[in-house]
Amino acid sequence: MCASLAVSHRSYQANRAGKLSPDHSLIPPCQAACPLHMDIREYVDLVAQGKILEALQVIRSGNPFPSICAYVCTHPCETACRRAQVDKPIAIRALKRFALEFGGDRLVQAEAETTHSEKVGIVGSGPAGLACAYYLRKLGYPVTVFEAHSEVGGMLRTGIPQYRLPRSVLDTEVQRLKQMGAEIRLNTRVVSLDLLFEMGYQAVFVTIGAHQGLRMGIDGEESPGVIDGATFLREVNLGLKPSLGDRVAVVGGGNVAIDAARTALRLGARRVSILYRRTRAEMPADDVEVEQALEEKIKILFLAAPTSIPRERGQLTVTCTKMELGEPDASGRRRPVPIPDSEFNQDVDALITAIGQVPQTPTDFHLRTGRGSTIQVDPATLTTNRSGVFAGGDAVTGPATVVEALAAGRLAASRIDDYLQHNYPLAGRDERETLTGDLQPATLEMIRRTGRQDPEVLAPETRTKDFDAVELVYDWESATNEARRCLRCGTGAEILFQDKCATCLTCLRVCPYHVPYLDDSGSIQIPADQCQACGICVAECPAGAIALRKPHDRRQVSEELDHILEAATQSKARPLIVGFCCQYGLFGTGRLAGLWRGTGAGVWIVSVMCVAKVEAEHMLRAFELGAEGVFIAGCGEQCARENTASWVQSRVEKVRGTLAQLGLEPERIQAFAPDGSTEDAGEWIDGFAEQIGTLYLTAVLLQEVRT
Amino acid sequence: MIVAEQKPLEEIERMIVPYERILILGCGTCMTVCDAGGEREVSYLHSALRLAQAKSGNGAHAFAEYTLKRQCDPEFLELLVDRVADVDAVLSLGCGIGVQAIAERFSELPVLPGVNTSFMGMAKESGVWDERCAACGDCVLDETGGICPVTRCTKGILNGPCAGTKNGKCEANKDMDCAWILIYKRLEKLQQLEKMRRYYPPRNFRPIPRPRRIAARTGVASGGEDGQLIA
Repeated sequence: MCASLAVSHRSYQANRAGKLSPDHSLIPPCQAACPLHMDIREYVDLVAQGKILEALQVIRSGNPFPSICAYVCTHPCETACRRAQVDKPIAIRALKRFALEFGGDRLVQAEAETTHSEKVGIVGSGPAGLACAYYLRKLGYPVTVFEAHSEVGGMLRTGIPQYRLPRSVLDTEVQRLKQMGAEIRLNTRVVSLDLLFEMGYQAVFVTIGAHQGLRMGIDGEESPGVIDGATFLREVNLGLKPSLGDRVAVVGGGNVAIDAARTALRLGARRVSILYRRTRAEMPADDVEVEQALEEKIKILFLAAPTSIPRERGQLTVTCTKMELGEPDASGRRRPVPIPDSEFNQDVDALITAIGQVPQTPTDFHLRTGRGSTIQVDPATLTTNRSGVFAGGDAVTGPATVVEALAAGRLAASRIDDYLQHNYPLAGRDERETLTGDLQPATLEMIRRTGRQDPEVLAPETRTKDFDAVELVYDWESATNEARRCLRCGTGAEILFQDKCATCLTCLRVCPYHVPYLDDSGSIQIPADQCQACGICVAECPAGAIALRKPHDRRQVSEELDHILEAATQSKARPLIVGFCCQYGLFGTGRLAGLWRGTGAGVWIVSVMCVAKVEAEHMLRAFELGAEGVFIAGCGEQCARENTASWVQSRVEKVRGTLAQLGLEPERIQAFAPDGSTEDAGEWIDGFAEQIGTLYLTAVLLQEVRT
Repeated sequence: MIVAEQKPLEEIERMIVPYERILILGCGTCMTVCDAGGEREVSYLHSALRLAQAKSGNGAHAFAEYTLKRQCDPEFLELLVDRVADVDAVLSLGCGIGVQAIAERFSELPVLPGVNTSFMGMAKESGVWDERCAACGDCVLDETGGICPVTRCTKGILNGPCAGTKNGKCEANKDMDCAWILIYKRLEKLQQLEKMRRYYPPRNFRPIPRPRRIAARTGVASGGEDGQLIA
């Protein structure tokens, strides 16, 4: 081997590899919408590949308490999901729960070392406080969380009913936080921040939530039998069992109203109704929650607003006025307008008002408050009017979501770190662009429709008897199928080497989704917001100018092949057979892997993210590195595209032609597309291995005869 | 565009026998577009040759690969100076022009053609190319409705169709359109059928003095033997 040539070849390849390393992927809409900025696309893809442990790692690295989000997140990611343009968004929250349950999240241990001496006090143990404690521990600060109630968790404990968030889930996360060295003091109401500073805390994070129920300001609101939603839920969740009677009405259209109604039902109320002054379309409550409430036979009276709650001889009556929708108000929703003379009465045993909550900040905190009694902060630094005091969560935003609170906690931790270390607060900016825009009709049309499959839920009759979690977890097959629907927005192909592009138009001609186009100046454009990342143009580009945007995707097949062949050549089993197999769905997640253990030959699997990405050169290279036979097994009908098999076949034909010219039997390479049954796959592989075995033996015998 | 196809592997194997260190050189223009010698094909051929060598067991070659933007311009060839310093031969996947350009630039370096340069043509669809021009140097497309009888008529006749046309197809190949029928139909659409009546004198087959040279500036002598410009 000529040394200098080898070097020049290698440096050329290294050069190319160097250019292949930067990440050009775009931030997908789901990630952009997530307050925690979780790498959703990544973990959904890992679930699709059946790599649950890796998925769990990705989830854990982006979320302090993922198991909580897995149950109760309002999933703004799903609202932003572009799959909705095709059929329905990906069930991201349910997939997260699947990854946590099947990935063994309960067994994950958390550790943190104390590397700083500055103590931080956190007032309130809600999601924002706990998240802040979590990240401060990770940064090495001693942390104490003060909780006024007898149990830790804030609204997670006192607000969210158990059928939505089992307490064991919350307890596990809190336990982990304690393991990390966070001190939690229960039954400790902080009355003065000065006291905390006197106790030696150098920074304080105020996250006291919004627990004070708003009043409707109508007659009879003080009567016995009328209770506000937040108080009602807190009492139930802290172990009291208030007796409500048979007929319960709930006023409001938010999640608290729905929670209160469903909780009342589970406490034994026979007839539960919700009074809401607008219509279903304006209801701020989560759609699924509303749906489930209706399934549980909770009645919702729309366009009804209580005007008084008279109580006569022990009988509570709620008087309502019918409403109609007028002009849009400040929130953009149409304002309800009373219809004159439309009063009606409804007898109830209890009335729960859930029309909103506000924070209640002790005046001794000396914090400036603003609209709706919320604490005023600088949104970038979460600093308040007092030096060293930070605030976040519902206390600042008013009632919001768990994931927003977690994000506030995380932000607070890093800003407190900046404050204590005298750093200039730098926002951790992601340099990558965010992908926006709708899919073009021509592209949309070519995407295979596969309806969303939600996890099963308990039947309404069963679930209303107790407080067990309503939603069940996916099974393996449903989860991988659901995850496979992901369009992997922003990971598509790009012309990475513009100088090499000969504008041959191959990409434009081969793209199954009609994505590449010729612009006015005669250059090819592959719009990132349209590309479906199938990799066909990458494999077909004669100039090698196109690459996938993610470095891992670019190198995956070659690296995996090299890795497998290195291991394979060390093994004694002959003949050596290399199979390029689709890693997606059930096909790749082990069931198939078990099948070739039975064959006598040494079958080695190169798992690929769709066989459309396997180039003719990869196939030939397997032979070059010692394979006696090569097969390509796609996932068949499960594939996101209909013509993957034909692309694979055309490349196989090319390699066959080359093999024939080299005096090798063309049948040494074969493509296999199963029709869904894995038994067939096993038989097929056995047959192929046998065939290759015969060819191999013949060749060995011929060799011996010659020598 | 120039269209070519890769030579059979056996032929390439035979060609490279005398040489140990070989640079497989692709061309980033026409040969890339016609899938015969772009970077992907260079790399595929590289792999195939290594496989051939591994299979025969008498591995004597060391290969390197590189793809130039264009092999037919002397300036691009300067990029090869260092790369060919240590090679015994260049296996060019450029067209015949590229092979000769390299031979001209590197006078002591053997150059081997890896493709058979076939014709000038266009893509019919992905992976299919059709011949369209014979570079006859005497274009009549204005008279023939934009369809070249020299290239697309099997006989290359200028006063067609001949008696061998049947149902619009050529007698030489029943799947092939008769170029003169195509010309007729197109002229009909253009309302220029009178052009069919024109009689073309027999084509001038007298030898064109080769090689031809086109000079866009003055003071350039016609093609010299060694291709040197005489300013």
